[in-house]
Amino acid sequence: MLTKKGKYGLKALIHLAHMPAGQLAFVNDIATGNNIPKKFLDAILGELRNAGFVQSRKGKDGGYRLARPADEIKVGHVVRVLDGPLAPIPCASRTQYQRCEDCNEATCQVRHLMLEVRQAIAEVLDQRSLAEMRDIGLDDLARDIDDRPLAVKVQA
Amino acid sequence: MSGRANSIIPSSIIIVGGGASGVVMAAHLLKSANPDLRVTLIEKRPHFGQGIAYSTLLSAHVLNVSAAGMSAYADDPGNFWRWLQGRGLVDPEQTPQTPFYAPRSLYARYLGELLDDLEAREQPTGRLRLIHEESLAITPTASGVEVALANGTSVVAHLAILATGHDEQPAQGHAIRMGSEADTALDPESRVMVLGTGLSMVDAFLALEQRGHTGEIVAVSRRGLLPSPHRKGNPIKLDVADIPLGTQLSYFVGWFRDLIRENQKAGIDWRDVVDGLRPFNQKIWQNWPASAKRRFVEHTKAWWDIHRHRMAPEVYAKVTQAVQSGRIRLVAGRVVGITPGEAFSVDIQSRHSQLVETFDVARIYDCSGIVRDISTSSNSVVRSLVDRGLARPDPMRIGLDVSANCEIIAGDGTVSRKILAVGPLTRGTFFEIDAIPDIRVQCARLSKQLLG
Repeated sequence: MLTKKGKYGLKALIHLAHMPAGQLAFVNDIATGNNIPKKFLDAILGELRNAGFVQSRKGKDGGYRLARPADEIKVGHVVRVLDGPLAPIPCASRTQYQRCEDCNEATCQVRHLMLEVRQAIAEVLDQRSLAEMRDIGLDDLARDIDDRPLAVKVQA
Repeated sequence: MSGRANSIIPSSIIIVGGGASGVVMAAHLLKSANPDLRVTLIEKRPHFGQGIAYSTLLSAHVLNVSAAGMSAYADDPGNFWRWLQGRGLVDPEQTPQTPFYAPRSLYARYLGELLDDLEAREQPTGRLRLIHEESLAITPTASGVEVALANGTSVVAHLAILATGHDEQPAQGHAIRMGSEADTALDPESRVMVLGTGLSMVDAFLALEQRGHTGEIVAVSRRGLLPSPHRKGNPIKLDVADIPLGTQLSYFVGWFRDLIRENQKAGIDWRDVVDGLRPFNQKIWQNWPASAKRRFVEHTKAWWDIHRHRMAPEVYAKVTQAVQSGRIRLVAGRVVGITPGEAFSVDIQSRHSQLVETFDVARIYDCSGIVRDISTSSNSVVRSLVDRGLARPDPMRIGLDVSANCEIIAGDGTVSRKILAVGPLTRGTFFEIDAIPDIRVQCARLSKQLLG
């Protein structure tokens, strides 16, 4: 499952993908513009820098920018770095495997299906680039409103 | 694939190059039931199935992959093993799980017989045609391609697949290729130098040994690293969901080292971790940014190669014994000067101490195994495609730039629908595509893509 860290990281990268090529964004602007706690964002950007997705410059005019064009960075690349192996449930991961204490794997249909879900997650996230995610139009977002839980829709 | 969906299925295909990858490609195409299929295989050497790797006659030159991994067919891994068994070439008690490193000349025989069988089978259908001739150039025409041959004639087809294999670039400077015309008789006690310390150096050592040479062999490479031996094992199971893709090289290497360390703590051999990554190697490579690919080739590849491309344990024992006895001297450094004379005086600067040491050697063999620049290829077909802008080198110039569907990419970026490539020529896109286990998968996929 996508953690808050993963979500914030993707939002920060979308923010950077909107910047004109080569221009740096201030950490404060990214934090306030996307409602991300500043300290948390610092840590996330540090990890993204280590993995080679963003570059930073220190100092008064310092900030962050994408290290590569947004169409070369796949969403799945980023999520693995921030959240670790893609897996809908810990028992469905090979390298970050954790046994469920409350069930028997040999007979667990849930885990079986979740292995398939893991493949589907990788397939979607590895096909989509940061640029594609950035360019998801308002029309698409509006259509998603139909997916919101009923209670919210009634209020809206 | 969307571009090809509307077009007709190509039924005539020329394969340029009848070495191992050409034969494997032909074998996969001919699995199709299409009665209109026409496959033409063109090879300049006297025998099919014997490119650089498998033309050696020395019994000491064995395969670097165990027999079970060497079937020509992607969907029939036992094919080579059964061939060996059928001819009584393996012990009846041996199972495919027993590591067995067959002499390479035997593998050439296997590919030769496989092609003979296909030829006999397809004789009434006329679907396979073999041509012994050198190809000079491929030219796209309105309806397909035309391949010009050295005898002045040409052949036409809908498509051409380049399977020209490893590039035989001329040796550098004063060095010569082992087994070439310049490799004349040598005083058996003379000291020789080998440029390279990898699997080609090992081949050179075995050949010298078999010729009765007893002098010292000075093997030089940047790091002076010797490939590791195989050991029977079980590759760990990984999933694409686990592997960091598209990161900087240092991040990936850090992850991989941690993975090896964790597995070693659990008593698992590093080989099983290296081999567990194999199904994903192409994907990892393709997702790396250009900077990571370049850095890998420059700095990490030497380290990767000695762990990934290993040798038969028996061969390793022979080589390490030779190193211990002083017969082979491994030197980490680079050649800074060569003075030719009666013998060669070679100055080597040590990687570690930076000191220059001079070696007097009777001969220098080039076993560096590096493609320096594909556009200077000794293969006329490849060179003429690049010269006319119909193909271009990949960004690292280690092969031709091809799409993920094996289509060659022209100088202006146009993806060709008519000229494709398989095998080592495509390593810029597919990374590890030198060995049969990878080439057969590529050929199976391409065959399906072309013929359905």
